[in-house]
Amino acid sequence: MAKYKIAGVVFEFNAKTKGAHKMLDEYKYLGDKPACFSFSATEKDIANEREGLTELPSWYLESLALFRKLCEYVIDNCNGIIFHASAIAIDDKAYLFTAPSGTGKSTHVAMLREKLKNRAFMINDDKPIVRYENGAFYAYGTPWNGKHHLSTNSRVKIEGICKLYRADSNVIRKAEKKEMIITVLNQTLRFSDETRTDKLLSLIDKMLSEVKIYALGCNMETEAANVSYNGMVKGEVYEN
Amino acid sequence: MKIKEGYILRKVADSNVVVAVGARAKEFNGIINLSESSAFIWKILEKGAEKEDLVEALLKEYKADREVVEQDVERFINKIKEAGLVE
Repeated sequence: MAKYKIAGVVFEFNAKTKGAHKMLDEYKYLGDKPACFSFSATEKDIANEREGLTELPSWYLESLALFRKLCEYVIDNCNGIIFHASAIAIDDKAYLFTAPSGTGKSTHVAMLREKLKNRAFMINDDKPIVRYENGAFYAYGTPWNGKHHLSTNSRVKIEGICKLYRADSNVIRKAEKKEMIITVLNQTLRFSDETRTDKLLSLIDKMLSEVKIYALGCNMETEAANVSYNGMVKGEVYEN
Repeated sequence: MKIKEGYILRKVADSNVVVAVGARAKEFNGIINLSESSAFIWKILEKGAEKEDLVEALLKEYKADREVVEQDVERFINKIKEAGLVE
């Protein structure tokens, strides 16, 4: 079985489909560390993933079954959560943009990349893993990287989290924890298990307390990237 | 009247958040955000209570007009009944 390393976790995965194999290739691990777990998706796992997602090809469902296993492992063992966000590194600090699908996270982050050129790179455009390690939060790239397949196998300390909403003009301000919680919870992979749920909630609480949080009202014009850059990187924001 | 098994109320990010766990998570994957006074009522309803008990408890905890409290409790109960959160 091939070894992989995602979000700092070394594991074995028996990919049965070529698609899953290819998708994970960048995360292959050749080192000596022992695997934290071994996973092989069963027919039942695939069927579970297919529920409500009939459009997706089998190889992708196989990768999702692994993703679920990894999510369970990181919440149980590594203070890790899966956060639906577009995560960009700017000057080696991570900024995460979150919003319901269709709001324009990816478009906004693409404008930031365009503006900042080689000062920026994508950590993950869709589903980064966030871990709390030694008193700080880090975003990790994963192969589940959205429709434009933008991600880097990387680990970057999180500087800010920004909630995005559509507005006529562009404005960024510091946000309060309580206005972030519903969006963040809605964009986090949750569990039915109560112990995991409690861990998840306390991690999110910690994350929203320790990382800078913002609310960005934006349109789809390039000025939006200037406003979010000036706000989050240069600190030009409206205080509450 | 009692909150159904599987709904849990937690204080997170300065908010009172209700999510579903266990078998309940299959039928409800949303999040409910409760105000302080609603969370106060919810906690009593976790153990089971009738409308009158809630009104009395609220009047003890908050300085408020009985009539206003009764209306608020009524409205809250209707909401959670409609959402199927109590039995």
